[in-house]
Amino acid sequence: MTTPAPASPATAASPARLDERDIAGLLFVAEMYGVQLDQVAAVLGTGESRARAVTASWRRAGYAQSARLGPGGPWLWLTRAGLAACGLPFPATTPALSRLAHLRAVTSVRLALEAASGYRAAGAFWRSERRLRARMGGRVGLREHIPDGEVHWPDGTAAAWAGECWAVEAELTRKTVARTAAIMREILTRTGDYGCPAAQARVPGQPPRHERAVYLCSPAARPVVTRARDAIGALGARVEIRDLPAGAELPRAGLSRAELPRPSPPGTGPSRAGSSRAGPAGPRP
Amino acid sequence: MTRRRRRRPLLLAAGRVLAWAAGVAAGAALAVAAAPVTLVAAFAFALAWATGWAPRRLYQAALWCVPMLAAWAAAIALAARSWLPVAAAPYLAWLAMWHLAAAGSVLLAALTIAPVAVPLGLLAGALAWSRRVYAMRTGTGGLSPTASAAFDRRQWRHQVRSARARIAAPGAVPLLSRGGGIVAGAIIRTVGHTASPLAAIPYQRLRSHQVVIGTTGTGKTTLLLRLWAGFLALGLRRHAAGAGHRPLLVVLDCKGGADSRRVADRARRVLRAAGARSTAIWPDEASLSLWALPARQLTTTLVDMIEHGTGGAAYYADVLEAVVALAVGPPCGPPASAADFLARLDPGWLTAAYASAPDGKDAALLRSASRHISDIALRFRTLFRRLGEGLDGPGGFGDADAWYCILEGTSQIAVAEAQARALVDILASYITHGPGGQREILLAVDEFSAVSRRLPIWQLYERARSLGLAVQVSAQSWPGLAPRDDDRYRIAAAADGGIWLLRTPHPDPATALAGHRRSADTARRVAGVALWRHEGSSRMRDEPVADPSIIRSLDTGQAAYIYRGGVTFIQIKRLVAAPPALAAEPITADQASAGPATAAHAPIPPPGTEPHTGSLPDAGALLDEAFGNKTS
Repeated sequence: MTTPAPASPATAASPARLDERDIAGLLFVAEMYGVQLDQVAAVLGTGESRARAVTASWRRAGYAQSARLGPGGPWLWLTRAGLAACGLPFPATTPALSRLAHLRAVTSVRLALEAASGYRAAGAFWRSERRLRARMGGRVGLREHIPDGEVHWPDGTAAAWAGECWAVEAELTRKTVARTAAIMREILTRTGDYGCPAAQARVPGQPPRHERAVYLCSPAARPVVTRARDAIGALGARVEIRDLPAGAELPRAGLSRAELPRPSPPGTGPSRAGSSRAGPAGPRP
Repeated sequence: MTRRRRRRPLLLAAGRVLAWAAGVAAGAALAVAAAPVTLVAAFAFALAWATGWAPRRLYQAALWCVPMLAAWAAAIALAARSWLPVAAAPYLAWLAMWHLAAAGSVLLAALTIAPVAVPLGLLAGALAWSRRVYAMRTGTGGLSPTASAAFDRRQWRHQVRSARARIAAPGAVPLLSRGGGIVAGAIIRTVGHTASPLAAIPYQRLRSHQVVIGTTGTGKTTLLLRLWAGFLALGLRRHAAGAGHRPLLVVLDCKGGADSRRVADRARRVLRAAGARSTAIWPDEASLSLWALPARQLTTTLVDMIEHGTGGAAYYADVLEAVVALAVGPPCGPPASAADFLARLDPGWLTAAYASAPDGKDAALLRSASRHISDIALRFRTLFRRLGEGLDGPGGFGDADAWYCILEGTSQIAVAEAQARALVDILASYITHGPGGQREILLAVDEFSAVSRRLPIWQLYERARSLGLAVQVSAQSWPGLAPRDDDRYRIAAAADGGIWLLRTPHPDPATALAGHRRSADTARRVAGVALWRHEGSSRMRDEPVADPSIIRSLDTGQAAYIYRGGVTFIQIKRLVAAPPALAAEPITADQASAGPATAAHAPIPPPGTEPHTGSLPDAGALLDEAFGNKTS
C-alpha cells in the first residue's frame, strides 16, 4: 500500500521547516534510491517511532513517499519535489522490487562505514551509485560497471590512505568467477571519473581512479569473490573482502520485529552479526 | 411591342428585388430576435475560420453541451415538479433574457439564455461553416472560380498556425496518448483520416514496415527520434503490463561523421527519457560479434561483404565462396575472431584441418583453390582493417534496449555497405537463432541510399513480419530508397505501417500510393471581365488524396502521413532531450574508423602491468571496525 504525497506540495504555499537532521536524512535517502524505515532511523540517530514521525512530516511536505514494498518495514524514497528541494538531478522513481535487497545491503554498508571512527575523523565522503549514474547521464556503456559507491578520503588528514578513492561493492548473490573478476579488473584499472569522455576512462600509464576495491559479501557470494580476487593476479592485492554488516539482508518472512537485527546509527559503532545489538529494543530518545 | 410587354421585365426585376429585401429583412429580424444564438454561431464560425477547424469539431462542441442542456431541463422539471414546463422553458428563458437585458442586467441575461443559446449557436455555426467549406471545396462558393483555391491556401495557413500553437503549449503534446498511441505532433489537416487535435499513431503501425522520405533539414531526424522514443516507451509499457515482448530498437545511421554522432548522443538522451536502460553506440562504444553467426550464414555474410563482379568474375566469386566455406566449416569449428579467420586462410592450415576428413572432397576442393587462397586472404585482411573492430565482438543485440549503429556511408561507401550487410545478418540471426524471437524489434535504416546498392533490405522486408521484425527505411528522396524502381515500389508498397513524407521535390510516386478520391468540379459561366455568374455545371472527378504540391511546399517540421488511402498532415513535436551529462569532445570519424579500441573497449592490461603497483597503506583496522574481521 502506497502512502502518496499530497498532490500539491505544501512547499508551494509554505515551505516545510527542515532542521539539519532532516536535510541530512533527505540527502541520504535521495542518494540511496530508497531506504527502509529502520535504516532511516539509524541515519537520523533516533528510534523507529520517531523516524516514522519525521518521515511523515517529509511526506506531508510532499518531499517523500513511502510504502511497504517487501518484507520488513516500509520503504521511503524522495519525490520529484523532494529531489528538487535537495538540488539533486535524479529522476524520481520508486525503488524497483528486484533491487530492494541490494539497496538495503548497500545502505547497511554505508551506515556501517560511516559509523566507524576513522571515517568520521577523516571526513570521508560517500559518493553513491545514484550520483555516479547521474554523472553518466544514460551513457553507461554495455560492459561499463558502476560500483555501488565510492568513498573519497580527503587529503591532509591523519589517515594513511588520505587522498585515496575506494570503490565499494556489496555482493549478495553469486556471479560467475569470470564476471566478478572482470568487474574487479574494470574497477581497478579505470583511470577517469564516471561521466568523463570515453577516451579518458582507461588511459594506460595514468594512476587508477580506485586505489582499492572493498567487497562486502554475503556468505553465499564470498567464495566466488575470493576466487575472483585470486584470478586477477597482482591486482588482487588491492581488493579487500569483508562480510556484509548485520541487518544488511532483507528480513525473512516469519521473523518478529524483536528478532530483526538493527542497523547501527552513525556514531554509535558497528553492529556485527551475533553482537548483542540485535536485541529487541535499541536506545530510544 | 405593347407597353404592357415592355413593363413586364421591370416588374419581374422589381419583384425579385422586393423578395430579396424581404428575405434579408426576415433573416435580420430572426437574427436579432435570436441574438444570443446568432452571436454564438457567429463566434463559432469565426473561430473555425481563424483556426482552420473542420466542421466536425463544432458539431462535437455542440454535442458536448447536451449534458448542460439536460441538467438545465432537469433543474426546471424538479423545480416545477413536472416535465410540462420544460417545453416552454426555452421561450420563457428567451423572454426573461430580453427583460433582464432591457433592465441593464446583461450578464444575468446571458446566463439565463446560455443553456439554450450555446448548443444551438454552436450547431448553427457548424452548419454554416460546413456549408461554407463544402461550397468552397466544390467551387460553388466565392465570387470567382479562384476563390476556392485562395480559401484553401488561407485555411492551410490557419491550420498550420493552430497546430504550431498547440505543439508550443507546454505539456499539450505528450509522447504517448491515453489511448495507447504514439503522438507524433499536432494535426494540421486530414484527408480520409479522422480529424483530431493530436496525431496518435497506434503501436502496431510501428510494428509494421514504414517508409520515411524527406530531404535534409526538413525535420526528418526530429520525426524519427519521436517515433523511436514512442516505440520504446510504449513497448516497455506493454511489456511491463505483460502485453508483449520487450522492445528492441536497432538504428542503422548510414550517413556517418560527426553529425551522426551528435544525433546518436541526442538519441541516447531521448531514448533514456523514454525508458531505455541502455543505448549502445556502435562501433564507438560497443561492439557486435560477426563470429556468433551460424557457420552457413557466416559464410554467406563474409562472401557478400566482399564486392565481386559478374560475368567472368563470377568464377572468382565461386572460388571465394568455396575457400571461405572451408575456412568457416572445418571439423574443429568456426572461427572465433577476424584474426582466427585470417589465420585459417592459409593452404597449410586448411590442409591440416581437413586432413582427417573421411571423403576427401574437401581436400580435392582445397587443392584446386589453393593458388587463390593468398589473394582471398589479402582481400579479407583489407576488409577487416577497413571495418575496424566493431564486428569482432564481444557483444550482441540483446545487451541493450537500443542500438545506434553509425556507418560511414558518406566517406566510405563500400565499408558502410559491408557493415550494413553484416549488421542486418547478425540481427536476422539474433531473431531466428537467438533470443531475438522474444523481442519486438524495430530496425530503422536512416539515409538508406548510402547502402541501398548492396543491402537487399526488401528481402528482409518481405519476410520480416513473420520474424517479429519491423523495418523503417528513411531516405532523402524516392530514388534513394533503392537502386531500381521495382525495388522502390516493392519497399513502399510493403510499408503497411504507413509512409511519412516530409518536404521532397518528387513526392509523386509515394503520394500515388495514397490513391484518389471523388470530388465535385464546378464550372462557372463568365458574365464579363472578372465577373462570373452563379450558374454553371458540376461533374465528378478524381483528385489525389495526398496533394503532391502541398508536400513539395511543406515547411520544416511538417510531415504527411499516408496510411490506407488517407493522409494526415502533421506538425511534428520536437522531443526535448535531457542535457548531456558532460560536454565531451565529439568523436571524429577518423577516431571512429580506428575502431572501438578506446573507452570501454580499451584492452584491459594483463595482471601485473597496471600502472598502479605501489604498496597501499593498510586500512584493515578501519574495515575491521566497520565490518568486522577479515574473512579471507
